[in-house]
Amino acid sequence: MNKLLSLALGAACSVGCGGAWAQTPAANPMPDGSRDMYVGLGVQSAPRYEGTGSRKVSALPVLQVQWSSGLFVSGMNAGWHLSDSPTFEFGPLLALLPGRDESGSGTGLDGIGPDSVFGLSSGPLEKSAMLMRGGQLTGIAEIGTRLQGGVFTNYYLTPQWRLTASALYGSGRERDGARLLLGVQRLAASLGERHHVALSAGLTLANRNDNQTYFGVTALEASRSRFAQYAAGGGLRDARVGLRWNWTWTPSWMLTTNVQAERLLGSARHSPLVERPTNVTVSTAIGYRF
Amino acid sequence: MMHARRLIASIALLLAAGPATGMDTSELRDGEWVSYRDAYRAMVVFEKYGGPKNFLQSQLQVLPRERGAGTGGLQMTLAGKSTELHLALDPLGRTRLPLQKAAYDENAALVLNRKGVPFTVRPQVSIAPRPDGVYDSADLRAACAQALDFARHVDASMRGRRCVGARFVFLNKGEAGVRLRREGGGEQALPPQDEDAGLQAVVYRFGAQQGQVVTANAPLAILPVFE
Repeated sequence: MNKLLSLALGAACSVGCGGAWAQTPAANPMPDGSRDMYVGLGVQSAPRYEGTGSRKVSALPVLQVQWSSGLFVSGMNAGWHLSDSPTFEFGPLLALLPGRDESGSGTGLDGIGPDSVFGLSSGPLEKSAMLMRGGQLTGIAEIGTRLQGGVFTNYYLTPQWRLTASALYGSGRERDGARLLLGVQRLAASLGERHHVALSAGLTLANRNDNQTYFGVTALEASRSRFAQYAAGGGLRDARVGLRWNWTWTPSWMLTTNVQAERLLGSARHSPLVERPTNVTVSTAIGYRF
Repeated sequence: MMHARRLIASIALLLAAGPATGMDTSELRDGEWVSYRDAYRAMVVFEKYGGPKNFLQSQLQVLPRERGAGTGGLQMTLAGKSTELHLALDPLGRTRLPLQKAAYDENAALVLNRKGVPFTVRPQVSIAPRPDGVYDSADLRAACAQALDFARHVDASMRGRRCVGARFVFLNKGEAGVRLRREGGGEQALPPQDEDAGLQAVVYRFGAQQGQVVTANAPLAILPVFE
């Protein structure tokens, strides 16, 4: 029962969430035709892209909606609870993966082909200017926003502890990247408590196509940028821990705060794009429950 | 700077939207309300449970956060925009929570009739009392098994537990008169034990012998005992 207030409000982050966990809210039985919705706004401080020491503070919209049919939207994820069991959840999952431009920011929409910048040539002077800009990806091809599709499953060891897994396909420049996200979560406290703290830890595994897109440097990119050519391989991509604190003020209003630390591993960690393998993302937002 | 101003303006707009319910949420002090949606979510699991549950009942139990604080004289109200429903609490702080779509959609709150009593709630599944006060030992075993199956349904860690008895809880010391009437004849008084808050309980542990458990007074609750 303690998973009731475990709502990990999804954050529609636009940057620093390239490897965002595809966390799913717990199943939420409700009257037929009803829905439970949180909408909010806050701020987030996150790396401009995974592996950089350069940070960006941005507005953070928050959205989580669950319908009686089992459908849910949680931040950049949408899915469908197909199980009636309180201890075993599963279903299809869609996840939007923000893109990355030369500044490291998400593009939001995939409107520009990834190869479009390759048509430009950079002379020696232009390249010197690029080399001066640390923390940016000048010369690295943009990556468009990607819609990943897959499945999720959660198993509750107890009402407070659950193991999570999701498999997603569709990331990467050619939309042929795949990720497997494994995690364990300690869900929040009992009914009536105002402060709820949820803890999570997990690992991400990615195939070569995914890692090469976000951490590889092609020969062409190397010639145009300050980065050496690098061929990223598949395998363990990152490990992360997170803490979410929800403070409910009234039945409608709440403050949700999230701290997440991610450490890049394996081939991703050794990428020349990675200035620091460990990154921290902090966000806080006011949410309203409709 | 422009970005920050826009953000502040957006948050102000969000706050200005005000509560969706007609209830004055400013009067709700910290710890003195519970979201009906969250309570609904907890209680509907039993309603939707498809396993055998004819010997069981499910109630919402109010637990004051202050140690030793009782629930005597407390009443709970389900309060929403168009909902105001008073829910009587039994001496253990339990009530049957109505599962209402209107209250759910209004994001109603559960509040107590007395200010300054921070509380939490939890679902409690117990064995339904019988009007005649006579319980076949086979029925008590079946009831305990049903309760354990439900507990396993919601909590996988309960799979290692087993049913060992039933605990009859009474309000006053003098009321805890429970006898075991053996199938082959003869009766045995079961010893009462003192519990918190002045309550008394009698534990009937399942044995090889069949018979009936007879209560002289109506118990407040009959709880399955798992080990």
